[in-house]
Amino acid sequence: MLKILIPTLMLIPTIWLVPAKWLWPSTLVHSLVIAVASFTWFKNTSETGWTTLNSYMATDLLSTPLLVLTCWLLPLMILASQHHMGNEPKNRQRTYITLLTSLQFFLILAFSATELIMFYLMFEATLLPTLMIITRWGNQAERLNAGMYFLFYTLASSLPLLVALLILQNTSGTLSLLTLQYMGPLSLTTHADKLWWAGCLLAFLVKMPLYGVHLWLPKAHVEAPVAGSMILAAVLLKLGGYGMMRMMLVLEPLTKEMSYPFMVFALWGIMMAGSICLRQTDLKSLIAYSSVSHMGLVVAGILVQTPWGFSGALILMIAHGLTSSALFCLANTNYERIHSRSILLARGLQMVLPLMATWWFFASLANLALPPLPNLMGELMIITSLINWSPWTLALTGSGVLITASYSMYMFITTQRGPLPSHLIALDPSHTREHLIMALHLLPLILLILKPHLIWGWAS
Amino acid sequence: MADYKEAPLASRPKTLDPNEYFNLSLEYRRAEEQRSAMRSNLKLQYQTQLNNPHRKALIEDPALNRWMYARSHTYPHFKATFKTSLTGLLFSVVPIFAFYYLFKTDRDKKEADIKAGKYDRRFALSS
Repeated sequence: MLKILIPTLMLIPTIWLVPAKWLWPSTLVHSLVIAVASFTWFKNTSETGWTTLNSYMATDLLSTPLLVLTCWLLPLMILASQHHMGNEPKNRQRTYITLLTSLQFFLILAFSATELIMFYLMFEATLLPTLMIITRWGNQAERLNAGMYFLFYTLASSLPLLVALLILQNTSGTLSLLTLQYMGPLSLTTHADKLWWAGCLLAFLVKMPLYGVHLWLPKAHVEAPVAGSMILAAVLLKLGGYGMMRMMLVLEPLTKEMSYPFMVFALWGIMMAGSICLRQTDLKSLIAYSSVSHMGLVVAGILVQTPWGFSGALILMIAHGLTSSALFCLANTNYERIHSRSILLARGLQMVLPLMATWWFFASLANLALPPLPNLMGELMIITSLINWSPWTLALTGSGVLITASYSMYMFITTQRGPLPSHLIALDPSHTREHLIMALHLLPLILLILKPHLIWGWAS
Repeated sequence: MADYKEAPLASRPKTLDPNEYFNLSLEYRRAEEQRSAMRSNLKLQYQTQLNNPHRKALIEDPALNRWMYARSHTYPHFKATFKTSLTGLLFSVVPIFAFYYLFKTDRDKKEADIKAGKYDRRFALSS
């Protein structure tokens, strides 16, 4: 664990001491080395238990894929930010990369925490660098509003979580995941226990986001700069999913009864968020609502509490992280050329940038869950376990899949196909850096087709 | 009206066609001339920007900007009329309760079947 944490921490002195000419290449190489070193976490010899165990941190089959995704994303974020940060003064560039690195540090601590309070602390700690990235480096005036929504939705919903964790510590005497898994069901009978159950989950449901409390997500994703959107869509949403999957251990007998309203919100949210996507004119807003839709499926998969549901949720979280981040990078390539997020202003780009059209094609196919990509495998496992839970869910999940396909196609056809507007001139050709970043997003997705063992958690 | 000349690359609108003059009132003709002049001015601005050899950015269309702003800022202008309230109820409140009722009764029936021993799960090995 220290093999990864100390290099991540030492990236911060590197950022500040490296000569200005070598800032971006050296931080890129440093974070790539950390990312490749993080692959060692995949070697799990125990198959069921915790590896790389010390007093405070451990990894197991659930947290390893998310940790590797977090480490993989830092070089990609640095690559994506290189162009639009080029005009800023050097110290501000260093501050930006420092914020990204501190975010990665907190995320690694969050995913590998064994003590629930440490997880909670790191969960809250990730809010601050993200808030700074959104409100300082966003492009429109709405970024302040977006930062406030992001901060206060998550903070307000996580205060009940703190109270619930302290109550759990009082009743069970421990908050370590290592011992909580052997604790046995608590007797949760009173009305207050039902509130405790809701308090445990509310923070994660808002983070996921669940459909009713998703209002912060489109604002935050749209107003953030590209690295902020990438880390938000790829990893910060999954913090909520990971937290839910850990908390399910202790919420046991109540979940059968109390999960119904949240399941209904999640399933209805798939359809509603998908339908909103079809009406969007802002490209980043479309991708943000598609994230809400996919995460609704993940929430339903977690709440159904079967092995396939959990496994499908984890697979879909990883696959969606890579896909959504890739789509935000593509939207940023559009934005850097025309300085507008409108879906209507840059149409027919296949004529002008055919290689980028290939990446758009691939990312859109991944978004609409084309087999054999892991996006489909995760969705299928969740949908199957939901059918076992109640066959009527197929109405919602099936039409949700249909709407997903239609808005992904809509996004691809509007941006790539059709006539090129006559006033679009002087578009930069696709940079090698942009091809590299797309390849680094989509290559792991393709490789995961061949070894899904890495991301399917405990399903054996 | 007879001395109205259209801009070199623009076409004459149908309402200013000399053949149509006789059944149009004077005010209408004057208004139509003014509108035509405004349209030609806008076309001239667009053509100037389009053919400017030093232009590198997109031509900004204020109508598109206004449309996009309107599309994304609907909430401050929302008014709770009968139709909007009905739509909100029908798409946000009713489905939640309807699906809750549907799932609950379906699963309770399944649970009752399982307890009575009538639910066939012989081949359900994975879920």
